[in-house]
Amino acid sequence: MNYLLHPLTLVTFFPLVGVLILLFLKEEQRTAARWVALVTSLITFGIALAVLVQFDPQNPDLQMLINIPWIQVAGWNITYAMGVDGLSILLLLLTALLTPISILSTWTAVQDRVKDFMIFFLLLEVGMVGVFLAQDLFLFYIFWEFTLVPMYFLIGIWGGGRRMYAAVKFFLYTMAGSVLMLLAILWLGINQGTFYVPDLMVTAPNIVANIQIWLFIAFAAAFAIKVPMWPLHSWLPDAHVEAPTAGSVILAGVLLKMGSYGFLRFNLGFFPAASLKLAPWLAILAVIGIIYGAMVSYAQKDLKKLVAFSSVSHMGFVIFGLFALNLQGIQGSILQMVNHGISTGALFLIVGIIYERRHTRELDQFGGLWKIMPIYGVLTLIVTLSSMGLPGLNGFVGEFTILLGGWGAGQPGGSYGSVWYTAIAAIGVILAAVYLLYMFQKVFLGPVTHEENKSLKDLNWREIVMLVPLLILIFWIGLYPQPFFNLMGPTVEKLVAHLQAAAVAGLP
Amino acid sequence: MLFQAAAQGPQFFYLAPWIVFLPVIGLLINIIIGGRLPEKVVGVIGSTAVGLAFVVSVLLAISLAGHHEAVIVPLAQWIKVGNLDIPWAFQVDTLSVTMMLVVSGVGTLIHIYSIGYMHEDVRHNGDPKRFRRFFVFMNLFIAAMMILVGSDNYMMLFVGWEGVGLCSYLLIGFWYEKGKDGIGNSLAAKKAFVVNRIGDFGFLLAAFTIFWAFGTFNFTQVFEKAPAMAAVAPVILLFITLFMLLGVTGKSAQIPLYVWLPDAMAGPTPVSALIHAATMVTAGVYLIVRSAPLYNLTPQSQFVVTLVGSLTALFAATIAVGQFDIKKVLAYSTISQLGFMVAAAGIGAYYAAMFHLIAHAFFKGLLFLSSGSVIQGIERGQHHVEHDPRLAKTLKGNSEHLDPQDMRNMGGLRTRMKTTFWVYLIGSLALAGVFPFAGFWSKDEILVSEMAYKPILYVILALAAFLTAFYMARQVMMVFFGEPRTLAAEHSQESPKVMTIPLIILAVLSAFGGLINLPKLTIFGSIQEITTKWLEHAVEKGYLPEFTLWIGLTSTAVALLAIALGYWLYGRRYQEMLKLPTAKRPEDPIIAFIGPVFTALKNKWWVDELYWLIIVDPYVAVSKWLADVVDLRFWHDWFHDIVLVGGFNLLTRVLSVQIDLGIIDGIANGLGWLAQRLAAAMRRLQTGFVRNYALAVFFGLVIILGYLILR
Amino acid sequence: MSLNILFTSANAILPIVIVITWATVLLVVDVFIPKDRKGLTALLAGLGLLFAMVVTILRLNASVTQPASAFNGMVVVDGFASFLFVLFLLSGLLAIILSFDYLKRTGLEHGEYYVLLMFSISGMMLMATAADLIVVFLALELLSIPLYVLAGFAVPRPESEEASLKYFLLGSFSTGIFVYGIALVYGATGTTSISGIVAAVNSGSAQQVLLLIGAAMTMIGLGFKVAIVPFHMWTPDVYQGAPSSVTAFMAVGAKAAGFAALLRIFILAYPSLSVNLTPVLWALSAITMILGNFVAIAQTNIKRLLAYSSIAQAGYIFMAMVPYGDPQVSAQCVSSALFYLVAYTFTSYTAWAVVIMLEQAEGRGLNLDDYAGLGRKYPLLGFAMTVAMLSFIGVPPTLGFVGKFYLFSTVLEGGFNGLALIGLLTSLVSAYYYLRVVVIMYMRTGEPVVSRERWVYYATVVTAVATVVLSIFSSPLFNWAEQAVLKMF
Repeated sequence: MNYLLHPLTLVTFFPLVGVLILLFLKEEQRTAARWVALVTSLITFGIALAVLVQFDPQNPDLQMLINIPWIQVAGWNITYAMGVDGLSILLLLLTALLTPISILSTWTAVQDRVKDFMIFFLLLEVGMVGVFLAQDLFLFYIFWEFTLVPMYFLIGIWGGGRRMYAAVKFFLYTMAGSVLMLLAILWLGINQGTFYVPDLMVTAPNIVANIQIWLFIAFAAAFAIKVPMWPLHSWLPDAHVEAPTAGSVILAGVLLKMGSYGFLRFNLGFFPAASLKLAPWLAILAVIGIIYGAMVSYAQKDLKKLVAFSSVSHMGFVIFGLFALNLQGIQGSILQMVNHGISTGALFLIVGIIYERRHTRELDQFGGLWKIMPIYGVLTLIVTLSSMGLPGLNGFVGEFTILLGGWGAGQPGGSYGSVWYTAIAAIGVILAAVYLLYMFQKVFLGPVTHEENKSLKDLNWREIVMLVPLLILIFWIGLYPQPFFNLMGPTVEKLVAHLQAAAVAGLP
Repeated sequence: MLFQAAAQGPQFFYLAPWIVFLPVIGLLINIIIGGRLPEKVVGVIGSTAVGLAFVVSVLLAISLAGHHEAVIVPLAQWIKVGNLDIPWAFQVDTLSVTMMLVVSGVGTLIHIYSIGYMHEDVRHNGDPKRFRRFFVFMNLFIAAMMILVGSDNYMMLFVGWEGVGLCSYLLIGFWYEKGKDGIGNSLAAKKAFVVNRIGDFGFLLAAFTIFWAFGTFNFTQVFEKAPAMAAVAPVILLFITLFMLLGVTGKSAQIPLYVWLPDAMAGPTPVSALIHAATMVTAGVYLIVRSAPLYNLTPQSQFVVTLVGSLTALFAATIAVGQFDIKKVLAYSTISQLGFMVAAAGIGAYYAAMFHLIAHAFFKGLLFLSSGSVIQGIERGQHHVEHDPRLAKTLKGNSEHLDPQDMRNMGGLRTRMKTTFWVYLIGSLALAGVFPFAGFWSKDEILVSEMAYKPILYVILALAAFLTAFYMARQVMMVFFGEPRTLAAEHSQESPKVMTIPLIILAVLSAFGGLINLPKLTIFGSIQEITTKWLEHAVEKGYLPEFTLWIGLTSTAVALLAIALGYWLYGRRYQEMLKLPTAKRPEDPIIAFIGPVFTALKNKWWVDELYWLIIVDPYVAVSKWLADVVDLRFWHDWFHDIVLVGGFNLLTRVLSVQIDLGIIDGIANGLGWLAQRLAAAMRRLQTGFVRNYALAVFFGLVIILGYLILR
Repeated sequence: MSLNILFTSANAILPIVIVITWATVLLVVDVFIPKDRKGLTALLAGLGLLFAMVVTILRLNASVTQPASAFNGMVVVDGFASFLFVLFLLSGLLAIILSFDYLKRTGLEHGEYYVLLMFSISGMMLMATAADLIVVFLALELLSIPLYVLAGFAVPRPESEEASLKYFLLGSFSTGIFVYGIALVYGATGTTSISGIVAAVNSGSAQQVLLLIGAAMTMIGLGFKVAIVPFHMWTPDVYQGAPSSVTAFMAVGAKAAGFAALLRIFILAYPSLSVNLTPVLWALSAITMILGNFVAIAQTNIKRLLAYSSIAQAGYIFMAMVPYGDPQVSAQCVSSALFYLVAYTFTSYTAWAVVIMLEQAEGRGLNLDDYAGLGRKYPLLGFAMTVAMLSFIGVPPTLGFVGKFYLFSTVLEGGFNGLALIGLLTSLVSAYYYLRVVVIMYMRTGEPVVSRERWVYYATVVTAVATVVLSIFSSPLFNWAEQAVLKMF
């Protein structure tokens, strides 16, 4: 039974301990519920750090691998397989970090049914961590689908005006994709005789071309919706606008990454040939998403919607980098996943902070807040700059490496030949400045126009505490990203070699 | 000789990173404890930080005097992904050190000046707490600028490049709640940042090409590999250099991206002096000079560069003639002068460009600072007037409307602000290029080079030089001569020592700055071409201008002529004009000669309006259309909520009513008039005739058996 | 010696014998149980089923390893049968738990209820063992007739009577078709025993067309019981009209029994006909899944909604039979169907239990709107219903998901990718109405009226938890389902 105490099992399922405790709390014991959830998630983060300590960056393969037979019937051998490697370690840490921060953000924001809220939140964490660690497709799918349920409730119960609409739309939209993925998973399991990811990494690439492409599309459908890639983004604004702050933070910070992570591990890993063939199309969609998201978010009047659409643009960069299919592109996009989690997560926290004070998100309701809330202003400025990719802050490192990779994707072994993709994508960097500075100006600059704003309080300690870790990371990654690149380096090199091999071999 | 003396001296290269650390330390101190410190101390901390950076730069210079070759001082790894390898490393060579000296030197003076200037500014704008913020931003700027000039590779340079852009954004919007409609300054700041981003877009594309062409961003390595590349694929270099030029036009305010600089004057005057005249805007020139090996290999882009520079020089100069805002005049003059530098750098006269860059830093910094002194002089006057009951009523309450930057509200300051007047005069003469002030020597070298390159360009620049002298004369006359045109001007007072002393120092530099690169003439003996000799070690020789007497004489003549013209127009003529009743008083004496053209000049040839028309408005319109029509109404509401959901519900209804019940009724009655049957079906929904159900089963049976038999 | 056969046979089908005798005795005993103590009857009935289950479980391994055939091979007690025994007995127990308080509340408390229940169960068990079409017919009647009565148990409620009548008429109609089918099969092969049919087919003496038609008709007869489109018409009315406790039992037991017969007959007797029958099965399961799920969306009455959902679920199970002709897959067809039946049983009972608790007199409390605020007021009930709904959709971690996973993999292995896609898409469609229930429970405010009887309450929670837990630790169940069919052929 040693696998019960295995670090990866622990980090995944530890939140259930918190859930268990919460179940025995009374509805009225709000503070207690909050503390239980916070402490649980903090311990989970601690365990995640312990995993990081044991993690060997030099080793490109899966580490701390658990692989225990689970369901061995009907010719499938489904295993309880967990493992971590360069592709997932950072996302694991990101998840473990953002959860306590989000819980902190609900401290005063959520007053209704706190206990249930925390239960769902911790369940959500289990699902998310599981997605990043599962190394068996069956297990992965279970975690993947499971994340829907708590998020569905978080939006549907604690959400805003159209919460039911948003919740159901979120659920159905995402499930529509997953259903196709399930079909592909079943197909793989039956025809490859295993659901074990490392094995499939070896066997799946040899599947004949046309089937491989269908499988690629089936997986891509699920992930593209999750990311979301243009034009499948329609659920995102609804979900974000209606979701409670913490929900938005996790949604943008982690759930979207599940999509890009899926592309990275499964589409690139299982179907390298198909990836090479289809990369140009995904790159086009990504580029459209970058520009489209940036332009649409510029025209938003609701602060949260603006940030939501900015995610469409930013995640466009991530996908663009992935399908450059070279070192710079992929490493950049993994780092950008983290960056986006940090800066957009922070942005949603920031929106939540002001929403809690003013109960509106209309841009026109603000202006000149810097004068009234100087600390808030400065922190927001930094986050905004990081989000628009100012060199020296985290956003730039990611976007730059991604675009550099994209530019070089035409090189031998690369995917799509033309530098036009990158040139257009790079325009997104200009547009990012346009909408983000517009946002900052509308909210913080100019004279104070509304009486209600004159009496706003600046950040309290709790709010500062929940933002500071993100700010530290913003500077750290911006100025010295090497540790992060080192964590993923070898694994990505292996993956790229994998792709190169397929490129040489051509479609099976 | 000074340097030779120090040649054997110790070497301080390891100090290089401190040119960045010191300002950062300064700003950190101010952030952390500055709040509890008195203004003076905050200012002193800020200035000292920069001052020490200057000391370090001097030490570096001394060490370089010993051995001239570039020294790389690595600090840390930044980005390393595969063969992409970008370090934090400083390249100390004569070129970068020159920039460091200019930046930190002029920077220090401006910091000191700011202690006095901001003391009044923050009070005048009613938020003394922002004094500290100002110095924090200024130090941040110095740090970023030092990264820019100190870098040993293109990407670290880019960090500084955008960093200074950020500081410029922050400082332009320093009084973010002021300006037109209270938002004007913020908009100006945003404009500056976005326009610069467009330039940076060019820079990025250039960078990508550099990497995939040379596999590195390191200057030395790129330049080593460049010739080979030029041999096989010259187009690559063309691509790189031209996209780099786009970046330059953004940062150094050249056509077509210069439009942000005039608006940038919204920032406090020391900012205009430091960032938008002396240092940041010259970054573009520095970039070209730094990339000399690439440009030398691509004559085509060299031509484009110099063309852009020359045209900008003339174009901006014309606009400057039509401005009434004391700072706007200087702003356009800056653009014009930058045009001179770019033009020089374009044709490979790198030393000339650098020389003019340095000289310009002296006299334009001086001019801006003293214009600040003038503005505050007027404000003091205004303040005095408002608080003197006897004068106050003569104002008849229109005091708010007085714009302290409008030259039409000035006049006669000569006697009231003596120091300011004298330094301003020196600055103007230097800028106008009058012998023997710094501007004369530096501008002369540029003109000589252009003459040798393409006479037509020489003509353009000479014309620009003429206009320069003219609008400076106009400005000096309008500001300092004649009678005061407002009470405020009449009661204006001189600025405090802390402001005037830096002015005097800069004035001296502007006067004798020429010494640092006197032309190669025997009479100058060993002090000729100091800068050239100095820079030779870092920048490969481009075109080396020879001193040509007739050009020197011509430019002097041109300058004097223009000044005379200016004196004639804005001295006596202007005074007479003012006697006319307001109604038929022309706005500016020159209208009598150029008529409507002046309107065009005054309105900056409507370029801003044009850009709004063809870029900004369409962009806003399109994004609104995308957001409201395409994304929301079409994609979100129509497609998802109507088509998908609606179709889904329709299908449901059809299956549940028409099929699940309707068909059966249809069968039951032997025919399928679904339309009519629907009602019946609905009625029978409750009871549901067994007969029909049985028939349904039977019907299913028939179909299946039929299929099995007939297949 | 014939007596000897009788004994061995009786011994072979001991669980059935127990249930029948127990029921008969109970019928007598019940007379002496006072009107207000009918709880005792329920208890006794429950004990009887429990006893039978114990016996079954004790003989489980035996049945799996060496199947006992009895009555000259007319019945066979193999792993398949005993698996279903357990299932039927379990559902019987749950039905009793659900019924007891409900009947009291709705004033339907009569001892006969439980007796009829037990008879019906015995019929189902017999169905599971039937190795001869005649026995199938016998079992069909044995399980149906009590159900007809039970459906009309809520006299004098008109809809209950109507339901009973409808069920009876259509039931006999379809049984008629079934019998005619048997006749044709007999005509074609000269026998009604499964082994006999196979033998006749192999020897080539069978008349293919006649056999084919007969087979089709037997399928239709049973298709009615499991409510396959287009033989599902009765379901919504009957489910709605009958007392909820009966409905719950019908929805699970009768369906399972029908599938028991279908699976055994098709897999064993008709493999030769798969060429012709497979397309029919394909089409039937497809339209069943589509129609069932879509029509369910239009429902506002929870009982009708669950009725259509049960139709859709039948479609999924039916899907497992599509590749039955393929010898590689046929075993998996059965085991996956069995597994899904278990999943369906737990899920379905959870849902019905909640329905029963919310149902008030005169069929009030059955509208979806009556569920508003349930999740808030009664978290555990809300949780249970949510689990049930998710399990119906097939969202992990629930039995429903694992079951569907098994089903779809079977279908895919049979090479019917299109059908699998239809199945997956329709389950996406089903999410729409199942989620609506959850939305109403959690995201609308309301004051649901709930009569929380202790036993039903426990049953609900237990089945709900089981639905989740069994999905995570599903290996034993999987293995059992696999073992059960090993000796079938």
